[in-house]
Amino acid sequence: MSPTPCIALHEVRCAAEGRVLLEIDRLTINHGERIAIVGHNGAGKSTLLRLLSGFLPPSHGQIEVLGHSLSQPLPGADLRALRVELGQVMQGLHLVARLSARENVLIGSLGRVTGWRSWTRYFPAHEVSRAEAALQAVGLLPHAQTRADKLSGGERQKVAIARLLMQGPRLILADEPTAALDPSAAAEVCQLLVKAAAEATLITVVHNPALLPLLAERVIGLKNGRIAFDLPVAAVNDEKLLNLYRPDAAQENPLSSNDSRTTMELPCPGTA
Amino acid sequence: MRLASVLSDRALGPFSGRLGFLGLALIYLVLIAACLGSLAQEGELSLGRNPIANLLKTAGEFARPSFLDVWFGNPNLEYRSDDGILLRAENRQTVEMDYLAGLGRATWTTIRIATLGSLLGALLALPLAVLTARNLAAPKLLAWLAKGVLDVARSIHTLVFGLVLVGIVGLGPTAGILAIGLHSMGTYGKLFAEAIESLDMAAIDAVRSVGAGPVQVFFNAVWPSVLPQFVSSHLYIWEFNIRDSTILGLIGAGGLGLLITEATSLFQWGRLSTVLLVVIALVVSFDALSRRIRMALA
Repeated sequence: MSPTPCIALHEVRCAAEGRVLLEIDRLTINHGERIAIVGHNGAGKSTLLRLLSGFLPPSHGQIEVLGHSLSQPLPGADLRALRVELGQVMQGLHLVARLSARENVLIGSLGRVTGWRSWTRYFPAHEVSRAEAALQAVGLLPHAQTRADKLSGGERQKVAIARLLMQGPRLILADEPTAALDPSAAAEVCQLLVKAAAEATLITVVHNPALLPLLAERVIGLKNGRIAFDLPVAAVNDEKLLNLYRPDAAQENPLSSNDSRTTMELPCPGTA
Repeated sequence: MRLASVLSDRALGPFSGRLGFLGLALIYLVLIAACLGSLAQEGELSLGRNPIANLLKTAGEFARPSFLDVWFGNPNLEYRSDDGILLRAENRQTVEMDYLAGLGRATWTTIRIATLGSLLGALLALPLAVLTARNLAAPKLLAWLAKGVLDVARSIHTLVFGLVLVGIVGLGPTAGILAIGLHSMGTYGKLFAEAIESLDMAAIDAVRSVGAGPVQVFFNAVWPSVLPQFVSSHLYIWEFNIRDSTILGLIGAGGLGLLITEATSLFQWGRLSTVLLVVIALVVSFDALSRRIRMALA
């Protein structure tokens, strides 16, 4: 346990369009932890990740991530400084479709490489060899010159992980990194992700309980925007998960229960 | 879904639904009848006195393009007056050879007009496209102004621009270049704006997520996804402009159009046929080339 935690949330509340998306009294995550976040659709999983990555400021409360306070929207330069240390693997397979796998991996070095080299994508030789090593690590070196939109879903996710290796972040946020993958590819991507996070804190949103032991030591269950449980992975059993995913009128969000029909039709920003 | 259909019902008013389509079809039929009927009443629907004979005569001359004379022409064609005095003798082969050389120069002029005009149009359109692209959210007033300029440019024909410009900058290729540039600016602006609007936001997020600054985001995400579309539209309109600039000679901008005017006003269908063959070859080969490049970029 290090003296300053990697992430600290205190009385955080996040609301949009009259609906409470997330309400967390206290949450601390230490450096090097492996966390999985589970919960039903709209439980606030993605909202939590967006809060942590500084995409979304909280309506109320204090958030500290890697020493940056995110309670107020960060100025651009600070936000970029945070993102350099923060690796993200997103649901939508976020790659630049028209660039090759290698160039996509090299994007991970943009925090270090600045000026004309980063504009012309003429990266220094040591960064290029590092990118190739990263591609080697995920087994995609033969596809280094292939354009990202010609790769399969699993390969793209591996490129995103190679980009993480390139970036070398202290905190990795992964939002359902295996959502579009078949089971064997999903397991492989999870293993690579954990390997990439060897020296970082890893927070993953997962749906598939089978992947929990691969990805996490600690599991946080979210229900209706609140933490339902926060347990070591060994203590999470089927019953707890079933409870988490079961619709539960008694614990319905007080604001949304007033008029569930309108809130259902509302576009909910940041819900998975 | 329901909201959208309600809105579109309201917007289309009486023209929605099956009855509405029938109504539209009826209006269209009435319009056609009005066009045909009024032309017939004014006696403007005639095909001339002997269309078939004229067609055969013209087609016959077309079928013998003048460039064949370079090999098959009479080397000593004599022009005599009615009483048999020799007025002039010419070598058809050298005459047509010279004509071909002129044709080559005119083709080069046409290519120059189209190429420079297209580049001018593209450069003029770029800032306007940035202003009109909806996802970049430029100030409303500027966006409207830019859209207005593009719409006006697109709706005025190159030929009309050319006629006006010949009056301003005089006869010659400059007028042609400016005319092509101003008209195609409208089309470029529309296509460029669409390319910007279809920007891959996931790519931008990907680059942003590693802490890249705005300039880095531009060069690593925006540029690679927009550039191929820009190049592809550029080639497409360039090709279109090669075709368009062949007509600009009609108004004195030079190039192939000048030869077309000359040949038509002298009823030299053989020469017109030669010029048109060059135009076709030019357009077809440029089309093949640009399609190759566009496919390589896709």
